[in-house]
Amino acid sequence: MARLETDVLVIGSGAGGAVTAARLARAGRRVTVVEEGPWVDADALEPFSLEEMVAKYRHHGLAAALGNPAIAYAEGRCVGGSTEINSGLYHRLPDYLADEWERVYQIDEFSPDVLARYAEQVESELTVSTVPGAPPPSSAALERGATKLGWRNVEFARVFSYDAQGRGTKQTMSRTMLPKAVAAGAEILPDCRVLKLIRSGDRVLGAECRREHPGGGVERLTITADHVFVCGGAVQSPALLQRSGIRSGIGAGLKLHPTIKIAARFTHPVDHGDVPMHRVTEFSPNLTIGGSASRKGHVAMALADAGVPFDDALADWDNISVYYAAIRSEGSGRIIAVPGLRSPLVTYKLTDADLSRLARGLVHLGELLLAAGATELYPSILGGPVVRRVDELGAWWDGVTRTGANLMTVHLTSTIRMGEDRRRSAADSYGRVRGYRNLHVNDGSLLPDAPGVNPQAAIMAIAARNSDRFLADA
Amino acid sequence: MLQFEREVVGVLIESPDQPLRSSVEAFVDGSLKDMPEPIRAGVVAESILLGGYAAALRKLGRIRGDRGLVERLDAWETSPVGVVRQYVRMMRSLVLFAENELASEGAA
Repeated sequence: MARLETDVLVIGSGAGGAVTAARLARAGRRVTVVEEGPWVDADALEPFSLEEMVAKYRHHGLAAALGNPAIAYAEGRCVGGSTEINSGLYHRLPDYLADEWERVYQIDEFSPDVLARYAEQVESELTVSTVPGAPPPSSAALERGATKLGWRNVEFARVFSYDAQGRGTKQTMSRTMLPKAVAAGAEILPDCRVLKLIRSGDRVLGAECRREHPGGGVERLTITADHVFVCGGAVQSPALLQRSGIRSGIGAGLKLHPTIKIAARFTHPVDHGDVPMHRVTEFSPNLTIGGSASRKGHVAMALADAGVPFDDALADWDNISVYYAAIRSEGSGRIIAVPGLRSPLVTYKLTDADLSRLARGLVHLGELLLAAGATELYPSILGGPVVRRVDELGAWWDGVTRTGANLMTVHLTSTIRMGEDRRRSAADSYGRVRGYRNLHVNDGSLLPDAPGVNPQAAIMAIAARNSDRFLADA
Repeated sequence: MLQFEREVVGVLIESPDQPLRSSVEAFVDGSLKDMPEPIRAGVVAESILLGGYAAALRKLGRIRGDRGLVERLDAWETSPVGVVRQYVRMMRSLVLFAENELASEGAA
């Protein structure tokens, strides 16, 4: 068995882990980052393609939170984590949520001003920008429809840089924070799965890992560390802690943004290589409307969700784009590590109020798309019906049921909540796991609730804040 | 993939192009293997049960050829039993995504 020693072991290389590694390495700590997935050349694969799904997604993108209904979800599994596969949308944690979470969960130093300071620091190391020039047709449709209806809408900033020709490059962690961490001396070990943490009393001594070598061969690796940061995301982090025998308050309270979709057919071609950057915020924070990946495969799946014939529409897929309504959910779920299995059981219980909110979201999304000029709408509810006029939308109210709705999500949070209220949280205000002096969590698991927007900006700001606190305390 | 899963994938692929069919089958096979084990266990159980049921219906002459299996899948997609519905939806989504993506690549 191979052995390795380090000051700080960071488990996971996504938004939380990469920011943690960069900050601690720059402060002079000897940092080792282990990532279960491979290092994939960020330029090698087309975004949202089948090849990308195979190379960068956990389970080929085929996972689900079990419940009634089940909710499909996707996670990244590669160096850079989910920042490599998401849309790049960047939205700071809304001030009112920071205030609410600080009060309800008793989180120290969590005011909007504190978070804004860290967000500014993170943003200075990324490129956060809007699209130069006119938005692509799929995004312009959201703006057009919302404007016609008098609804608030905004082009969200993204972690993208643009060249002189306007070509955008997503500033993922493998392009930004991880190279900075390496430049400061950090070591990154891809293809290295942490089997469990090694514990002794109130300390974690390190981790037992299984490392696959690119040329073939597998080795067991024991990494000893003075401090361990678990940053595997809201599914993998609690599963690892549970596998390691740390269970108190871990894995309960999973939150996500249940999302329902429409494939909208227009009379003109729409773009398919990017994700719309406009969002309709008229009903925020509880309901947000936006656009999804719309390659031909995604269009086909979205059309099929309605369970009605769609050959004619698929033949016209150039004119079709996929949109969504996402809600903040009252329901919650659980992560349960099952002994002997690699993957945890993930469950989610949607409430009746959630279903009602999803139905409202679907109808609003339909109104918007018709106002934007769509001629045919295929909802992700079994049996449809396909809608062509506003007065037909009412039929969808009864279609969003536990048996009819096809739901998915990409944002999972809140499985190891932070705060000083011990009844509600498993980690303290800075992500240190209760009962352990040197075990920290620093990813989306810490967020006390789903924020209603892409959580990566909040995760990065909180990770930066917690890293600074760790350095100040040590 | 189990035998019944292979049959389902075979009838859901629309293209007669053999290399494309093989690529779609390979993608679905890889995806099923890579599923979270708790979900894969459930899918295997369903494949065995639904495969056995389909075999019985074939013997009784109530499923005839590929067309018959497609019609049976269409019926299961609106089944009142959630896991049956989700089984068909999952297999159909995998095939649709792969066939359309791989066909687009081939055409490019």
